[in-house]
Amino acid sequence: MNRLARGLILPVLLLLAWEFGVGLMVEPGQAPLPSRVAAAGLGLLRSGDLPWGIAQSLGRVFSGFLVASMIAIPIGLVMGASRAVERNLDPLVESFRPIAAIAILPLAILWFGTGTPAALFIVAYAAFFPLIINTIAGVKRVDRRLVDAARTMGVGRVTILRTVIVPGALPQIGVGLRLALGVAWTAIIAAELAVGAKSGGGGSGGIGQMMFVFYAYSIELNSIVVCMLAVGLVALLLDRGLRAALSHAMPWGRA
Amino acid sequence: MSAVKLRLENVGKSFTLADKTTTVAVQDFTLDIRAGEFLVIVGPSGCGKTTILNLLAGLEIASTGRMTIDDRIIAGPGAERGVMFQDYALFPWRNVRGNVEFGLRFGPAGAGLSVADREERVRATIELVGLTGAENKYPHQLSGGMRQRVALARLIANEPGVLLMDEPLAALDAQTRLILQDELLRIWGQDRDAPSRRTVVFITHAIDEAVFLADRVAVMTTNPGRLKQLIEIDLPRPRGDATRAAPRFHALTQQIWALIRAEAFRATIT
Repeated sequence: MNRLARGLILPVLLLLAWEFGVGLMVEPGQAPLPSRVAAAGLGLLRSGDLPWGIAQSLGRVFSGFLVASMIAIPIGLVMGASRAVERNLDPLVESFRPIAAIAILPLAILWFGTGTPAALFIVAYAAFFPLIINTIAGVKRVDRRLVDAARTMGVGRVTILRTVIVPGALPQIGVGLRLALGVAWTAIIAAELAVGAKSGGGGSGGIGQMMFVFYAYSIELNSIVVCMLAVGLVALLLDRGLRAALSHAMPWGRA
Repeated sequence: MSAVKLRLENVGKSFTLADKTTTVAVQDFTLDIRAGEFLVIVGPSGCGKTTILNLLAGLEIASTGRMTIDDRIIAGPGAERGVMFQDYALFPWRNVRGNVEFGLRFGPAGAGLSVADREERVRATIELVGLTGAENKYPHQLSGGMRQRVALARLIANEPGVLLMDEPLAALDAQTRLILQDELLRIWGQDRDAPSRRTVVFITHAIDEAVFLADRVAVMTTNPGRLKQLIEIDLPRPRGDATRAAPRFHALTQQIWALIRAEAFRATIT
């Protein structure tokens, strides 16, 4: 309790300085104020706009994340297990990897329009790379002796993949999942902002688009800050949740 | 004279290191291991004992010479040759029970066993090595000695015809070690007649352990690894505490120690 109180002193002082310092120096409306951010946040919560925006964005993140996992993890497993496959696919993966998710947005909008499919495509694209790279690394890091042990028990190749390689690579795949979920969330906000710009504030929804509307139409700085905080908080909760799920799935691990 | 189970003919194994130089781990190794024999390999560290075991397991392929099991060329691993690894090689994501049942669930050793039979064999094997009560623990929660017992249980649960064991009792305390030496002889079949025994190739650095367990002790020499001498252990079976007290036991121990003393000293100093 004492430590908590001491830890709060500086943030509270900064917030107070912000509240009164900014209020004195800048015209209202030019800069967000803590009190107004709090009021705007409450308003957005009560109206249901913020929860609904977050829910829409999360829905896209989870579906895109799932699609990416279903593609990247199997391919990563095969690439990690087979030199030949890796040699053939690695150049392809590595040549797309430097292209940021947001850079393929024009293509996504052309192909899929400004709705959910485009957002999903961006998210899946962004999540794909950390997943596949960590899956490959995970497979390669599986202790050779464990594979040997299974072979000396006469266990077949496919069964070894399922019973030794996959669980052995799981901690590293878990790292990939965490990174992927992080970039997926980042990507969805960026995609919604951009899609919002293209569609003129209409349609697709999500927290990113909410921010765009506050920026482009009503110029509500405080609400934009509310959205920023919400984005950060959701990212934190996502990672904590995934970490808890992973350590539950790997009771042997020090994940 | 019983049949030959494992035959090594002029077997050699060399490794190419990262700097492109080649080391010879094993050279010109010839040995017939009889069916039902308990063969123990001793020698100073670095003499290629583990390499011999990996070759027999089929995990490494000989550079020269040939190896057979029941007159068939050894081309890879097989369930009839069970291995207990020096570093245990336990599956960290499986608890004690999960490790012990692995070969029975996923390998041919459990074919034809009902689930109930399998569970009973796993339970009995865990009890045999003294791990009852630890079934749900994961390897990282166990001491070195307990891990070694899990590895031993995982091997013997599969009941392979040939047991290849790399210092299987090294991490145990002295008392447990003596108990498991007795158990090992029982599992091997010292109370049965010779044809129904399993074949064991056992690596150890403990000479008294070698003499207590073995039908024959193969003494290896280092640089390169070669067979130096084969010593028949003519102690009567079944063996037990009386064996350990017998003058002949000590005489054989001294004889083997004399063979490797010089090299063991050299290995310690350099």
